[in-house]
Amino acid sequence: MSVSAAVEIFTNNIDASAAAYLDACVHCGQCAQACLFFEATGDVKYTPVWKLEPMRRVYKRHMAPLSGIKKALGLVPDEISEDMLKEWEELLYDSCTLCGRCTIVCPMGIDIAGLVRKSREAMVAAGLVPEGLVGAAERVLAIGSPLGIKPETLAKIVGEQAEEVGIPIDLDKVGADYMIILSAMEVLNFYEVIGALARIFKQAGITWTISTEAYEATNVGIQMGDKKVAATLVQRIVDAAEKLQVKYVVSPECGHAYSALNWEGPNLVGKSYNFKVIHILELLDQLVREGRIKTKSERDHRRVTFHDPCQIVRRGGIVQEPRNLLNMVSDNFIEMENCGTANICCGGGGGVSSNSRAEELRIKSFISKKRQLDAVGPEALVTACGNCRNVLEEALDEFEMDLPVLGLTELVAEYLDD
Amino acid sequence: MVESMDKRLTFKRLACGAFVSVLLVWVLSAGLTGSFDLQNEAYAQTGGAVPGKTLGNKSDADIWRQMRQGQSFNLSGTAIGTPVLIQSPGEEWRSLRNGPLSYWGGLLMLVSLIACIGFFLVYGRIKIEGGRSGKNIPRFSQAERWSHWFAASLFILLSVTGLFVMFGRYAISPIIGKEAWAVVASACLEAHNLLGPLFVVALVILLIIYMKDNVWQKGDLSWVFKGAFFSDPPPPSWKYNLAEKSWYWLLFFAGLAISGSGLVLDFPWIAERVQQLQLAHLIHGGAAVVLIAASLGHIYLGTIGVEGALEGMTQGTVDENWADEHHGWWAKQVMGSTETDIDGSEQVAARDEMPAE
Amino acid sequence: MFLDFVEGPLWVVACVVFIAGALWRIVGIVRFGRRPDISIPRASALVGAIKGQFLHFVPHGGFSFRTRYHLIAGYMFHLGLFVLLVYAAPHVLFLKENVVGFDWVALPRWGFILSAEFAFAGLILLWIRRISDPVMIKISDWDDHVASWLTFITMLTGCLALQESHDSLRAIHMLFVDLWLIYFPFSRLMHAVTFVFSRGYTGAFFGRRGVVP
Repeated sequence: MSVSAAVEIFTNNIDASAAAYLDACVHCGQCAQACLFFEATGDVKYTPVWKLEPMRRVYKRHMAPLSGIKKALGLVPDEISEDMLKEWEELLYDSCTLCGRCTIVCPMGIDIAGLVRKSREAMVAAGLVPEGLVGAAERVLAIGSPLGIKPETLAKIVGEQAEEVGIPIDLDKVGADYMIILSAMEVLNFYEVIGALARIFKQAGITWTISTEAYEATNVGIQMGDKKVAATLVQRIVDAAEKLQVKYVVSPECGHAYSALNWEGPNLVGKSYNFKVIHILELLDQLVREGRIKTKSERDHRRVTFHDPCQIVRRGGIVQEPRNLLNMVSDNFIEMENCGTANICCGGGGGVSSNSRAEELRIKSFISKKRQLDAVGPEALVTACGNCRNVLEEALDEFEMDLPVLGLTELVAEYLDD
Repeated sequence: MVESMDKRLTFKRLACGAFVSVLLVWVLSAGLTGSFDLQNEAYAQTGGAVPGKTLGNKSDADIWRQMRQGQSFNLSGTAIGTPVLIQSPGEEWRSLRNGPLSYWGGLLMLVSLIACIGFFLVYGRIKIEGGRSGKNIPRFSQAERWSHWFAASLFILLSVTGLFVMFGRYAISPIIGKEAWAVVASACLEAHNLLGPLFVVALVILLIIYMKDNVWQKGDLSWVFKGAFFSDPPPPSWKYNLAEKSWYWLLFFAGLAISGSGLVLDFPWIAERVQQLQLAHLIHGGAAVVLIAASLGHIYLGTIGVEGALEGMTQGTVDENWADEHHGWWAKQVMGSTETDIDGSEQVAARDEMPAE
Repeated sequence: MFLDFVEGPLWVVACVVFIAGALWRIVGIVRFGRRPDISIPRASALVGAIKGQFLHFVPHGGFSFRTRYHLIAGYMFHLGLFVLLVYAAPHVLFLKENVVGFDWVALPRWGFILSAEFAFAGLILLWIRRISDPVMIKISDWDDHVASWLTFITMLTGCLALQESHDSLRAIHMLFVDLWLIYFPFSRLMHAVTFVFSRGYTGAFFGRRGVVP
């Protein structure tokens, strides 16, 4: 590992916003109150701003305005050390899901989650990335999917789904309007969503396709903080979309995939797309508003609640759409406390679920979510992120809670009047 | 080896005891005979000699007598109205304040300080016998810690400024001169008056939060009979032992007295007559010296006196072994009601339920 | 003599360091620049930046209970300090004579004292939270404590001079005011300025995404 490489990335990553953030922090500790890992363990090392300590030290030592005078007086923090970075590997990767709840509680408005992301880039430079993420990156670069799903496997699963719903699904169809990408978790565990999409799009009269060259929506490069990997993965989607001449790429029910493609993607590949990125929830809501899809008059009577995926709702800006859709298919939709932009993370975002070392902490941290759920007492939990869904199911199982977790797209398809 | 250490320790105790006894006899006799300078000034002015060049004028003497007896005079031609010109009981107050109150009060605090030092010399720092277990149990909630430090910080500020006002004329004025002393006195008085009302608020919050655990319980007395601080290991007690409970109730009564009298002095228009102010002042000073003297012991035991005690008031948790050794019954209660390893989420949840946060 | 020094040359030096230092630091921060964001915004970043300024005055999103202590103490201190800084009669007079050249209606003395009570209580409460909350113990550094104490001592020396009858007390207060001003640009006290940038950048980030939480 290389401390100097980390220092270099830390310094390169200081821009005006990072500098303002690191300068404005008054060490008030409010962020701890927002962090699910702190809440679950009570361990002060999980205080979000403490996770930025290496970055803060580098900034205050090398970059901060007036640090020259302070350095001469010996008042700057010590240089970060190898041991320190090793210690922070756990703090930056295992105990932060980049959920960004700390950001909204901060009186100074510091985007701590954003700085954790930047800190992870330095960890990559230092060579301190959890095995699980390194493995996922290797698989996605070599095979095309972090879970090792090959194009042939995808074709098989899509074929099965097409048969299931009785609607043909064309792969690699040039000239379709929409290109669907999927998260590996959906393809492997929640593949019914493919059939659901086929039914919805058929009714709406939409032409769509899936590329066998870029079917993976997740971006492990974003999670681990490796810009190169991130850019490569975005570029794959851009190339495929251009090759198939689609007008839209639909970001699926996956939190960080939306951030990666829509918000960070153009900056990563260095150019604007010649297609539009639309999130599946936005698209469904739009189709409903335009009257292109109709649902049955009979609605779901179960007491359901909605788990907001952080990167789609809080940090994605898609707040109202899932609620519109849920109210359309359910007549017993109850919001949980802190719903919407302040909702609590499932515990597995930001690459934590791919990091087996973090599993125990992740399960333990479910306590915050459990408290929210217990207060509502739902009969089903709806969400819009394959990763949240998987993480929630695992945790519910661990806590012996009998609660089905549903994907919103599938739920909409279930009540489709076709 | 062990035996010789025991002997050495016994000798140390005896020596310290003898020293303290001699000191006590000396200061007590000094107080009774009034051989200290600080009383002389007061005596000088109670002899009836009144300053002023009025000797030989009979009617002057009559008027002076009337003034001294507190009779009011009609000065209606002036803006003053009909004032009481000389407040004779004020002289009594002054001699009490500058005499016994200052003397015995100062002595009390000094004895307390010496007792702390003596205790330290004899017993040293009381260590956690079994060493640290590494496991912590919660002792003070955040509300308890915050109210404690709020009251404590104001207590310290008010003690320092108050002591300056009370003893500065003897201890500081001679060193820095009267003019400089006037500056210091003005400064201390202003700070004391400004911060005083805050202490009243802090104290009331503190008293409410801590009352529940300071009610006397069965077993408190056995802590005393089994040797209190002087026994090794310390006898078991509840969350607070009887000494701590006494400190609470001292704070309760003397603290409320000092607060009430302080408010009267800070907002003097509350009082109807000047004698009430004088009385308030004596109560204030008396309660202050008692509280400061007791606080020295409290501070000593909470910091250097007992290993592992301070962290309860900073982090909120104490080592299990510490709890077991110093507050055995309480420790059993706490450890019995929770799993040995306190879950963080439980703490957070408990904090959420706490109203006073 | 000493008063002339702390209200004369040292005051001027302090003001120069304060203004030049703070400007230097702000310019330094802004000069790091930001790479243009070429993703397509859903809504205005500027509106988000403005919204962000106000939203972070209160912790929103269901944290109110756990952050109540800090919120109350924080506002007690800051509001108390601003009121007494700007509306206390001696300060109005000083600012008129040394800074702005005109005066305004000062608070009556009881108002001055009351705001000082709040400021003192708030600052003390904030600092004791720093020494008695495990999170705060972990994340606090020397700058936090120096800044707290310097502010406290400056306020306390002001309180000591309340009788306004001894030049030496006024001079001591002025000395600490000068020191405070000099310390400001090098320290965390700068949050008084940088919070605008910090909130603004985050507000803009969220503004682009169409939601400002």
